[in-house]
Amino acid sequence: MIEKFICQLQSDRSYKNQIVFKKIFFSQKPCFGKLDFPLSPNIKEYLFEHNIHLFNHQADGINQIRKGKNIVLVTPTSSGKTLTFNIPVFEALQNDKKTTALYLYPTKALTNDQLKVIRDMEEQTGIFANSNIYDGDTPKHLRPNIRNKSKIILSNPYGIHHYLPWHYKWKPFLQNLKYLIIDEAHVYRGVFGSNVAMLIRRLIRICEYYGSNPKIIVSSATIANPKDHATKLTGKDFEVISKDGSPKGKKTFIFWNPPYIDDTKSARRSTHQETKDLLVQNIMGKLQTLCFTTSRQMAELVTRWTREELYRKSPLLSKTVASYRAGYLPRERREIEDKLKTKKLIGVVSTNALELGINIGTLDSVLMSGYPGSIISTWQQAGRAGRNSRESLVALIAFQNPLDQYFMKHPIDFFERIHEQAIVDLHNPYITLGHIMCASSELPINENDKLYFPELFQQSLKSLEEQKLVRKTPRGYVYVGLARPTDAVNLKSISHKNVSVFYKGEILETLSLNKAYDEAYQGAVLLHQAETYIVEELNLTRLVANVRKEDVNYHTVSKKTVDVTIANTYEEKKLESIIGLGEVTITESYNEYVMKTYDEIIGRKPLELPPLTFSTVGLWILIPERILENLNGGGFNLAGGLHAVEHAMIALSPLFAMCDRRDVGGLSTVMHPDTGCSTIFIYDGFEGGIGISETLYSKISQLLIKTFNLIKSCECVDGCPSCIFSPRCGNENEPLDKNAAILILESLTKQLNDNELTRKTN
Amino acid sequence: MPIFYTCKKCRKNYSKNQYDKRVFCRICGSLLLSQFVIDSEIKNGLKENLNWTKKSFKKNLQLIHKESFFLDRAAHNLNNKIKNRKEYFVFSQKETQKKPDVKEKEQYLFNCEYEDALKLKRKLIKQFEKKTLDQAIPGKILSNKLGEYYSIESISESDFKKINEKKCKKILISDLKLLQRIGPKREFHLKKNGFTTIEDLIRHPLWKKSAFDFMNLLDKKQIGELQSYLWKSLPKSHPYIHYLAGLCKIEDFAIVDIETLGLSERPIILMGIAQIKKNGIYTNQFLLRDIPDEPSAIWAFVSCLKKECSLISYNGRSFDIPYVQQRLAYYGLNGSINNPHFDLLHFSRRALGSKLNNCRLETVEKYLDIGRGVNVPGALVPDFYQTYLETGNVGPLVAIVEHNKQDLVTLATLFSRLYEEWEI
Repeated sequence: MIEKFICQLQSDRSYKNQIVFKKIFFSQKPCFGKLDFPLSPNIKEYLFEHNIHLFNHQADGINQIRKGKNIVLVTPTSSGKTLTFNIPVFEALQNDKKTTALYLYPTKALTNDQLKVIRDMEEQTGIFANSNIYDGDTPKHLRPNIRNKSKIILSNPYGIHHYLPWHYKWKPFLQNLKYLIIDEAHVYRGVFGSNVAMLIRRLIRICEYYGSNPKIIVSSATIANPKDHATKLTGKDFEVISKDGSPKGKKTFIFWNPPYIDDTKSARRSTHQETKDLLVQNIMGKLQTLCFTTSRQMAELVTRWTREELYRKSPLLSKTVASYRAGYLPRERREIEDKLKTKKLIGVVSTNALELGINIGTLDSVLMSGYPGSIISTWQQAGRAGRNSRESLVALIAFQNPLDQYFMKHPIDFFERIHEQAIVDLHNPYITLGHIMCASSELPINENDKLYFPELFQQSLKSLEEQKLVRKTPRGYVYVGLARPTDAVNLKSISHKNVSVFYKGEILETLSLNKAYDEAYQGAVLLHQAETYIVEELNLTRLVANVRKEDVNYHTVSKKTVDVTIANTYEEKKLESIIGLGEVTITESYNEYVMKTYDEIIGRKPLELPPLTFSTVGLWILIPERILENLNGGGFNLAGGLHAVEHAMIALSPLFAMCDRRDVGGLSTVMHPDTGCSTIFIYDGFEGGIGISETLYSKISQLLIKTFNLIKSCECVDGCPSCIFSPRCGNENEPLDKNAAILILESLTKQLNDNELTRKTN
Repeated sequence: MPIFYTCKKCRKNYSKNQYDKRVFCRICGSLLLSQFVIDSEIKNGLKENLNWTKKSFKKNLQLIHKESFFLDRAAHNLNNKIKNRKEYFVFSQKETQKKPDVKEKEQYLFNCEYEDALKLKRKLIKQFEKKTLDQAIPGKILSNKLGEYYSIESISESDFKKINEKKCKKILISDLKLLQRIGPKREFHLKKNGFTTIEDLIRHPLWKKSAFDFMNLLDKKQIGELQSYLWKSLPKSHPYIHYLAGLCKIEDFAIVDIETLGLSERPIILMGIAQIKKNGIYTNQFLLRDIPDEPSAIWAFVSCLKKECSLISYNGRSFDIPYVQQRLAYYGLNGSINNPHFDLLHFSRRALGSKLNNCRLETVEKYLDIGRGVNVPGALVPDFYQTYLETGNVGPLVAIVEHNKQDLVTLATLFSRLYEEWEI
């Protein structure tokens, strides 16, 4: 069926050899496992009714859990991970009515989805757990009852962070906690992961205080280091279950490169348009398709364009396409999920919001509009097609950017790449300090707590005491700061302010303040379910935006400019240039927005919004005059050179600071008022700093040398995503000058290289 | 001079400044170690570390030095973040203007109040310079199984009133709607048929069970259970719930109010409890001389709350009592507070809400024409106490203790005055 569809594609008039590579994964038979001792009749019956035979990884997992082991499950999407831990949890509930279990998910949408699964299982096994969600959306009046009566509670790390100080209210639940389930654990990486790791330690500390010792079940997408990751996240030892026994259907993976628009071969056709065309063909070919895009706006636009095109062919079919992304109200999301499952929707265009394990049933085809940014994400998204043993199609549609083009040219390289590691840093002073402070507000901290916080423990307490945040008492260190500690420690760099968008007096969606600056300013076209709404007003004190519905054929993009000012210098050192570290203030101003039809700019308008500012820690490199002189007259673009150096340094920062690329920000300028010369800034994307810049500063010479080598040895001509192109650049990767960057870095590292060399020869 | 670093051989102490200039001892030339290294390393049995020599240690020292420096800076930044998250807002508007645009739960005060409070703090600091706690606030150091605390007792005048038991019962039993599943229509028919009170309904074939249960609670004066029962059909602010106080003996009321270092998760620094006696209102306050006093002071406070007590508070149902319970759990102390509770905030909102800009206790006081002497706005109590902790000057404490006592006395008056506001 898929083969036939591909043949059809290739014989179509519009086909211009877009398929540059095709790989077929053959089907795989299921491999069943055996339990060490049988299940109870209720659970057996439940499995029987659903016609479930346990695969070997499920049986292995259950056997290990029954033995009291902590396990980490790393089998692919749709291999039945959820059942592997639900069975032991229900078994424990049946044996002891007091037993409780806590399920943690990274998003609220997932919690909602999983609650349904657990409730169904309750119903059908007759083992009642009164399962409930407890998070920021739970109405206040229901909370006491859930805490006291529910045996299974589903929540998220953000919530737990704030509930822990109120542990006395959770006493009955916590003292009977037998299982802690951490699902989608690969999401907890970088700074976020390090924060969650400390949070889990705080949770375990409270559990042990109440006398429980929960077993931990971690489930994750395929990553390079599952055991190490689970151990770092929780501080416990784990058994890895990774041998997948579930059946696989035949899967065809194609690489789709948009064709050149003319013979000069300078530009390719828009990826979005290609995506739209391919989606239309999928739907016409009766393949239920999920299309992933890299931005919220693109998800909406692709949906809109697809509907328009389908409408011309078949008005009925155009109604079977929808978009899905964060920001939709839960009710709306659920409706789309259900319609997908019941096949009322044939095409859904989604952001990575559907990448995690939300149950949407079997799909025939997955389109990825642009490389999702990591191997982990790519396989997660690809795993959405072909649940059970059905045949399926996966297509990666390339952007014109060099990274995507690289994979188009070297497809084998893509399939040989191993999954990324999930990095968690337990030695980050900012994170450790913040969580030890939070812990001191949950129970007084005494020496035994070193068990939970083995790194930097004593030193952290000392520093906190000096800042008068904790006070030493005979019972331990007690928190005495002037604000709620959990408010000062954010797990993720997200703003707490949320804007509600109102249409005709009813909430249409909610989005963070930063997103509102991007998408919901006065005059913006806000896309919701592929309908266009014009924002009439954005009220920043009440955090409300009002929209009216108007069908327009353009969309809007706001342009922001970022300024960095130095507020306080911590230290400076002189290498080839002066490099400084200190407190910086980041100001994001939004001064205009452009209106676009497809990819063409049709107008510009000024924007009046107060700038967004935050203070953080950053490092700066002052480029000495004499280096700039070398650039004069060579036809180099100085700004482009600085910009390129900044991008490449950020790209390499995860190597040095155990962070995620997204945790870092940067800015370069030819003339900075604070320093009086050309300057490159790199700063932590977290209010108050998170220790990344400080680490980079301490390893600055290595970072500069590595950056130089990266750019110099890159085979591209004018730069590519592997060196100086950044997928997150706010200036659309302009200007960039690779050769200028090489010259700048060469002078910056000249002496460093020599030193390095002499050290090596010594 | 704060000591940060010590010479491992001659035990001479150095400040951070001195250390920054030279990392080796001035006398014997050996390596200086920061106190925490000495504390922790010795405890951890890593004594060999103390035999570091200049050469072999240079590397380790740099590492430790860098780490602690890094941490100090991180702590400093964290503290700035905390400071930026003050739990109250200061507004520059005049008091007469409309309510500022803040969310329900956020504390705020006006610029003039803020300035006045800072002036007051300066004045008090000057006035009580070199005074001891006992001189400024007469009281006793008491102790219990958990340690010591400072206890302050005083008597104030009071015109505490409550409705009498008879009247209370009469009002309650003549409203048949209090029983579940009886609405206005049913009540009308029942009354027409001669069942004018709930007591009468005991003879009714259909309602006898619920009427009997209700009367039973009433006769046994189960105030707490009656409250929960009434909440099923009435809002928490309903006058009937206030009338229930008629069932409580006057000496069994406990007016409570606590002062804390923040809105949650921080120490309670002062707990006040007031009881009504013949010659006035007796207040007993438990003060922390420093943070280590907290568990003993809380224990003393909780021990005062006898089982038969009915609490009176202002927003205590959602603030003071959960707060005390959180702190009990924080110190691993057993004890829960399940007393009947008259939270006057609910009643004030209902009775006075439409007449006032807001229902802050200060605003209600002004309306009721209750004056206050020395006062510190509630939002600034943490700031005052921090000043005391940092300087050791007891001046700011005077304002806190007075503020707390005044709150207790005001609550007694408010409790009585609310009866006049109900129109039934």
